Amino acid sequence: MADEVKDLRKLVIKAFHMSEIEWGEHNDIKVDGKMTVSKEMLEELVAEEEYIEKIDLQIIRPGDHDRWTNTIMDIIPISTKVLGKIGDGITHTVTGVYVMLTGVDVNGKQCHEFGSSEGNLKEQLYLNRAGTPGDDDYIISFDVTLAAGMGQERPGPTAAHRACDKFIQSYREKLKKFRGEKCTERHEYHDIVRPGKKRVLIIKQVAGQGAMYDTHFFADEPSGVEGGRSIIDMGNMPILVTPNEYRDGIIRSMQ
Amino acid sequence: MGIGPSTKETSLHHFRDPLLDVVSNDTDLDLMGILLVGTPDDNKDKMLVGTRSAVWAEAMRADGVIISSDGWGNSDVDFTNTCEQLGIRGIPVTGLNFSGTVAQFVVVNDYLDGIIDINKSADGTETNVVGENNMVALDCRKAMALLKLKMRQKDQKRD
Repeated sequence: MADEVKDLRKLVIKAFHMSEIEWGEHNDIKVDGKMTVSKEMLEELVAEEEYIEKIDLQIIRPGDHDRWTNTIMDIIPISTKVLGKIGDGITHTVTGVYVMLTGVDVNGKQCHEFGSSEGNLKEQLYLNRAGTPGDDDYIISFDVTLAAGMGQERPGPTAAHRACDKFIQSYREKLKKFRGEKCTERHEYHDIVRPGKKRVLIIKQVAGQGAMYDTHFFADEPSGVEGGRSIIDMGNMPILVTPNEYRDGIIRSMQ
Repeated sequence: MGIGPSTKETSLHHFRDPLLDVVSNDTDLDLMGILLVGTPDDNKDKMLVGTRSAVWAEAMRADGVIISSDGWGNSDVDFTNTCEQLGIRGIPVTGLNFSGTVAQFVVVNDYLDGIIDINKSADGTETNVVGENNMVALDCRKAMALLKLKMRQKDQKRD
């Protein structure tokens, strides 16, 4: 029948809930909900990036938000492809903890383009939005100190995102190997054609002007940096993605 | 001006975007895809990329478009131009944008009557609180309902 709904592809996102995040010797993540965070990678991450002077890590327990934060550059889910490319196949993601990237330069100038969110974290972060952690979530704070003035130059924030991505990758490598049936949530998404129904297009206008006003697409990993391309470098021209590509983390927000 | 802390959409937001959830779950609509368009600095470029987006929508034979932006100020130039380019091509458009009391559109035209203000702050300002003035599912349902209405009105005019 011509009017039959057509299923183009399936994406399965399996979530693994983390309930205990502690300091440990190495970065580690376990299928039973235990995660450890280590500072052992930091020295190397700083050495690899010309414009990064220092990186600090904090584990922020749920509700423990009465503390200083530098301006919040991004909040990032820990997700990885297990099968297929972004937009189809299987993705593993983590719930219960999100990575918060913050940045400042050595002179205390916040890393921002237009308004900044440094201050007391409990006053600067609105919880329970789609893009922010919930009341019961842990936050891993990845706080980057850039060379003088580099918070306002494109290579500075890009370096901060790249270093943070390498840190997250250490968890992704382990998360990839989790046995799928041990997941705590399973979501199945389909790109669907509904012939005869009103055809609707979503247009998302995203940042594309420079430092702290940039958007990357097409990274190798969901919500990742490595392998991604900047919309600025693509002339800010419109790029079409499928619903499943979008919900599988094809965008890395760099503003 | 550009993207303020309270309106910016994080990578986590894109991963769990309420607009996509709302539209893709509505079985009365055939969601064709998501068109991601940048916000260039130069005014001529702003007109160019927005117009190319409208041409895409026209060539895809879109019955309607929902447009969203997480910035305000100069990015309104892009936003309102894209709405206008869709409008003059006869494509109904609704959308989501932060206005509040501080960010009314810096330019206006005849195709902005379906834009929902996603302000959540009490005094309608850029509060610098991350996430505060982000779109939520209710905003998205309003924009979708308004688009359905506009598409129906267009059909009725045609009959």
